Amino acid sequence: MTTLAERPDVERAGPGRRPNRFRSDRTAIYLLLLPSLLPILVLSVFPLLRGIYLGFTDARAGRNVEVSFTGLANYRELLGDELFWNSFKIGLLWAVGVTVLQFLLALGLALLLNQQLRFRGVARVLAVVPWAMPPVVVGILWKLVYHPDAGLLNEFFHRIGADGLRTNWLGDFSTALPAVILVGVWAGMPQTTVVLLAGLQGVGRELHEAAAVDGASTWHRFRHVTLPALAPVIVAITSLDFIWNFNSFGLVYVLTAGGPGGKTMLPMLFAYEEAFRYGNYGYAAALGNVMVVLIIALLAVYLRRRLREAN
Amino acid sequence: MFGKPSRTGRALQYLALAGYLIFLGFPLIWLLSTAFKPPRELVRLHPTLIPSDPTVQNFVQAFTEQELGRAALNSLQVSLASAVLTVLVAMPASYALARFRSKLGTAALGWVLLSQLFPFVLLIIPIFLVLRQVGLANTHAGLVLIYVVWALPFALWMLQGFVRNIPRELEEAASVDGASRVQVLRRVVFPLLAPGLVATALFSFISAWNEFFFALVLIKTPELATLPVALARFVGIEGTARLGPLAAGSLLATLPSLIFFAFMQRRLSSGSLAGAVKG
Amino acid sequence: MLRTRFRRLAAATAVAVVGLGALAACGDGGGDEATSGPVKLRFLSLAWQKESLQVNKDLVAKWNAEHPDIQVEYVQGDWNSVHDQLLTSFEGGDAPDIVHYEASSIGEFSKQGYLADLSGLVSGDLKGQIDQGVWDTATFDGKVAGVPFLLESQVVIANKKLLDAAGVAVPPADGGWTWDEFQGNAQKLTKPGQYGVAWALKSPTNRVLNLALNYDGKFFYTDGGRTEVRVGDAEKEIPKRIHDMIYTAKSASPEALGMSGADTLPGFFGGKYAMLPGSVSLRQQMVEQAPAGFEWVTLPPVKGLSAKQAANPQTLSVSEDSKHKKQAAQFLEYFLNPTNMAALAKGDWLVPTGRQANEELVKITAGKQGWDVAADSAADLTVAPFQQADGYPEWKTKYATPALQQYFANKITLDQLGTQLVDGGKQVLR
Repeated sequence: MTTLAERPDVERAGPGRRPNRFRSDRTAIYLLLLPSLLPILVLSVFPLLRGIYLGFTDARAGRNVEVSFTGLANYRELLGDELFWNSFKIGLLWAVGVTVLQFLLALGLALLLNQQLRFRGVARVLAVVPWAMPPVVVGILWKLVYHPDAGLLNEFFHRIGADGLRTNWLGDFSTALPAVILVGVWAGMPQTTVVLLAGLQGVGRELHEAAAVDGASTWHRFRHVTLPALAPVIVAITSLDFIWNFNSFGLVYVLTAGGPGGKTMLPMLFAYEEAFRYGNYGYAAALGNVMVVLIIALLAVYLRRRLREAN
Repeated sequence: MFGKPSRTGRALQYLALAGYLIFLGFPLIWLLSTAFKPPRELVRLHPTLIPSDPTVQNFVQAFTEQELGRAALNSLQVSLASAVLTVLVAMPASYALARFRSKLGTAALGWVLLSQLFPFVLLIIPIFLVLRQVGLANTHAGLVLIYVVWALPFALWMLQGFVRNIPRELEEAASVDGASRVQVLRRVVFPLLAPGLVATALFSFISAWNEFFFALVLIKTPELATLPVALARFVGIEGTARLGPLAAGSLLATLPSLIFFAFMQRRLSSGSLAGAVKG
Repeated sequence: MLRTRFRRLAAATAVAVVGLGALAACGDGGGDEATSGPVKLRFLSLAWQKESLQVNKDLVAKWNAEHPDIQVEYVQGDWNSVHDQLLTSFEGGDAPDIVHYEASSIGEFSKQGYLADLSGLVSGDLKGQIDQGVWDTATFDGKVAGVPFLLESQVVIANKKLLDAAGVAVPPADGGWTWDEFQGNAQKLTKPGQYGVAWALKSPTNRVLNLALNYDGKFFYTDGGRTEVRVGDAEKEIPKRIHDMIYTAKSASPEALGMSGADTLPGFFGGKYAMLPGSVSLRQQMVEQAPAGFEWVTLPPVKGLSAKQAANPQTLSVSEDSKHKKQAAQFLEYFLNPTNMAALAKGDWLVPTGRQANEELVKITAGKQGWDVAADSAADLTVAPFQQADGYPEWKTKYATPALQQYFANKITLDQLGTQLVDGGKQVLR
């Protein structure tokens, strides 16, 4: 195990240094991948391809409905769909806001939970509470927190004598989006924290000690030792978080149903309504396709930079 | 990790931790309080933390009306199976993805990301149709299959990140010492991967435990219903709910995941590089 | 050698997992009906209150005991997810035989062909029990998509002590206030720290369109096969009056705007709001949750030109794909006979659609706890044009709800509201 301490540069082992032996196990690779690829193939490739295809048709909900290929018709309509683009902007604001806050807060918490603090075990367990709670009760709970008359938040302001801060959090046009973003951060933090905490275990203490001997400050060590070592994990979890956040709408739906005045109408909620409420599968799938392309473009920029940094 | 902080530093750390825990953990307290409140206390203009007239009626109702016990057993079965299977499938695959860069691997990762990106609601009906085709509708096995596939993207992305973090030199050194490939995997890779595996198992368990929609549409025999579906029945029209029984049921539904995590969380730090050096 | 072992490990994992999948695939698919034996019907019910849950289960158990050849399986759904559940199972060809839902939502399913036309399946007896106006709410393109059985009329629940203190008399069950009287009394009930009224307007569209019939506001007009949204004085009346109460008279709380009906209860019980315009079913919360000593009364619906309201009854439908439509209809006849319908309505604190059931219910309850008002309101419930309009759900979510929310938040004028509603109609009803 001491190998690590002697070779602090191993993290940067480049792809070019691959020993030949590892490369020859092609069959093994396929066998290793097969178990996960097979169910993915069955349960995601077909539905996904079908979903993508629907975006080029006029498919509608209904018994024995004829579906015909309409090419780009959906996309022409979509270009002029102001409501959708408006909701797409809200979706970006929501997804970026939640992901960034989630990541920063989770990183802080993970660093704390990685310390030799007392009650660390209990603290770790409490930190995953939002994740463990059944989603059905989470929305109801937060509605009660934000309730204008009897909400925990307003009651808190009332008790500390700050009645001026009482607001109709979910009903007010300016506070609704920040209020639901906070709930989003709350709901997704445990996952990110656990992953980062797990990732921190891979950061060798020896590296830190070596750096400490060199007289590097805490911040310097965090910046130049911890963060780089954590980079692959950070890239993976922030990308996934971003995608998940962009795609999630259940909680917001319970809290505001897109209101007030469309201020919290997330694009996925928009697509959901289009498909499940109005039965426009084709158009909803087209919305999905466009969002996938745009999000991939955004992620590609992000991932390319991060991955280059990581390697 | 940052050496020994000063006393003020420590105090600040505890303060920050307390802030985090209040933010993240207060709903549990609220659930606890609500679960013991009679209906009249749930609509007070100034809610209190401690019920003035505590009752266990909510628990009685929750269990007699919706058979939460059986639902919980169903959920436990499904979630454990999903967690175990996800880890078993994802571990070798992520190793392959991280260590051998092949076109197939890149395509698989890309696909996995894409599958997470596409509006989920549009995939539900086709997935439902596939499962019916293969005779897995209305079975727990069908649910497990979906949950594993669902957890795989996270698992693969996470774990291959962890594998990349394991210095290749460690493996090489071990194999130079004469260890076989399997031994290398078992003695070197597996322990270093443990925290990632814990995160994966936890993720898979909890998502399965809390998943609602597939459990709702896929299972039609009432005896096979899972916990989230049973709990949802306390929710009524237009955001109303029978808060008492719902809180009681939800409180009990939260505990297994917390207990599961309490057991697993130790593994988040042991078996790590740090642990190998410092006892 | 090393490599083979490695491969073997990988292969073993692969085989294990694939095998597990295969094993699972051998599991019982269930579902497929047996060819002999009793007919099996699945009944998806949305009952959720304790009492009505019990009534539903009891009725099913009784039916099963009396009809060994037609067995009904009771499946409980929930209001939040029932739409998605139904759509998925309809599309997947796996829907329950009997479906409990509401008139305003089954229209889409009926037009999509998933619900059986009940006109030839239910008896003349049941048909005669229910007003034509109520049947019309569940009839789409000439097809009866469901049997309407529970009505939710909009009444006013009031805090009796506050009414007395302000010298406001409780009107008789058959003589409700006019809107002017209602607004005047709300004003009397308003003082610092207390509002006369809390309008729960989280879902403003249905609320406004239901009440708009008071002034003959139809919103949707069909001429020569073309439907369009029009907003004239009749349509503007209700939104304007509500808006006036909030911003001009200040007798209605602006905080209640984002609330749904039950959210107003803490304020109501705490004396912050004197009156709650809302569903008759709120009476249940009064009985279960009002603090000791709290006195409440049910006031009749408020009248404009008439007391007419749009009805959105709960319904029972039969799937088009059900193999046993006749037997399902038989069960419906039993489930909704006057005695049973009265029991169901009582359990949910709603108004039964059947005339005889309504009479029985008033008898059982002696008209107490607002049952007299509830029974009387049934006559004013009828169908409104929006309930039959094709694009209504889309118009509602995309245009009407945001526009009404903006108007009630005082961000746009009444005329702008009208324009937005009409323009939205043009977008949707192309």
